[in-house]
Amino acid sequence: MSKLKDKLSSREFVVTGEIGPPKGVDISGCLHDAEQLRDYVTAINVTDLQSAVFRIGSLAVSCKLVERRLEPIYQLTCRDRNRLALQSDLLSAWALGIENVLCLTGDHPAMGDHTEAKPVYDLDSVQLIKAASTLNQGQDMSGHELDSKPSFFLGGVVTPGADPVEPQVIKMKKKIEAGAVFFQTQAVYEPDKLEDFMNRVQGFNVPVIAGIVILKGAAMAKFMNQNVAGITVPDSIIEEMSDTPKEDRKKQAVEITARIIRQVKPLCQGVHIMPLGWDELVPQVIKEAEL
Amino acid sequence: MHATIQKPIDEITGYLRPGEKVFVVGCGNCAAKCHSGGAPETEEMAERLKKKGVEVAGWACTDSGVSLCKLAIVKKMLNETYQTETEKADSFLILACGQGIHTVMDATEGGMVHPGCDTIFGGETVTDDFITEYCSLCGECIVEYTGGLCPVTLCAKSLLNGPCGGAKDGKCEVDRTRDCGWQLIYDRLKELGRLEEMDKYQTPKNNSRWSRPRSLTMVESGATFKSLAGELSISRKD
Repeated sequence: MSKLKDKLSSREFVVTGEIGPPKGVDISGCLHDAEQLRDYVTAINVTDLQSAVFRIGSLAVSCKLVERRLEPIYQLTCRDRNRLALQSDLLSAWALGIENVLCLTGDHPAMGDHTEAKPVYDLDSVQLIKAASTLNQGQDMSGHELDSKPSFFLGGVVTPGADPVEPQVIKMKKKIEAGAVFFQTQAVYEPDKLEDFMNRVQGFNVPVIAGIVILKGAAMAKFMNQNVAGITVPDSIIEEMSDTPKEDRKKQAVEITARIIRQVKPLCQGVHIMPLGWDELVPQVIKEAEL
Repeated sequence: MHATIQKPIDEITGYLRPGEKVFVVGCGNCAAKCHSGGAPETEEMAERLKKKGVEVAGWACTDSGVSLCKLAIVKKMLNETYQTETEKADSFLILACGQGIHTVMDATEGGMVHPGCDTIFGGETVTDDFITEYCSLCGECIVEYTGGLCPVTLCAKSLLNGPCGGAKDGKCEVDRTRDCGWQLIYDRLKELGRLEEMDKYQTPKNNSRWSRPRSLTMVESGATFKSLAGELSISRKD
């Protein structure tokens, strides 16, 4: 039974974490990252060839989390598989004990390390959510009956900081109509913007888990501002970080992350912490954020 | 129109065997617009080949505005007008799209053909020196719901139900100088006062209509489109 589903259904505030599978066959490192999160998060996202960089798959790593009694949120993108493969991977996931699925479009192959790969996108994220939701009802996309059916807890993503935000809101509504019952967001550093966004989507009545990437320094924040869509780290935070000596950066990352979490907590139903390797900081972040 | 770009000359000469006599064929319509195979470029190619030591049997191009992909016209051109030259030729170098290449093969009853161009996309001739792509020939047009702008073509991911999260300042994640297709669609629908069109769920594409090769048969009352999705007959008399 999905603990994420239980907690969100009973309107508890949840914390989710994230791990990135490696480029290779030794997954001990990312499993170690996951272990550090064990007592502090409800579920752990497992990214699917994040940034379109070839790695070991999210299905295998999600399965390894299940074996260790850690709850995965299996990320599934539309980039690399057609509707046959997507539906099949979903059935495989259920058979392997995976219940939470986050359906995403996926970064374009041009962003990654196999730029000549064929971008598939046979389905888009809305259509993928609908396909997964149809499997939950015991049918495939062609209307054929399944001999046994899954019961996935289906999520979508949304970017509250997008400019303009309206197309994101329109698409979010379509994802809900397609069967998404929870949302995780792109990283948010401006509580005001999140508040505006939450006001817009209040009527949708779905739990929103606000994303936050642990900032490792001013350079990373500037890089994200320039290169990552929908993320704006305010100048005040960049200034705060730019004077910090290297040895104090982790301490400061904890302070900043915890502060933002405290600010966004009243606005949403959870936080999704993306530590990007600084997983050991998560317990302290949660403590300082008073979660 | 089919946009084409000439292959590098050394690639073309690399196709030809020693002593092979080639006849160069151009297209007076699309390839002429692309400056890849109109009459001037076809004649020029004949000269460039001669300079490289290639034996050229002659050259021909359909009249201005006439496509090379019209079989009856090409048969007349190659088998009658230029019969003397084409009879001496071992092969044909086609400066046109892939349809033109096949038309020459048909017209010459299986003549040896070499591609002189790469066929790159179907596009709009915006100006005399700029052609850009607005349609992907998917066989299932949905621009009614997108303000006339095709998301299959203008969105790098061909998304049908709205933008991904990758656009920044209205530009696409794959190339920050390229407009996000969904930003264009959103702006256009808003301007038209039809933003509610974006709320409609677009079903996944029926890729069997995109299966190749496809064909179209015209009859007096309409036409029949044949693909893996079956035969679709449309009457113009309703």
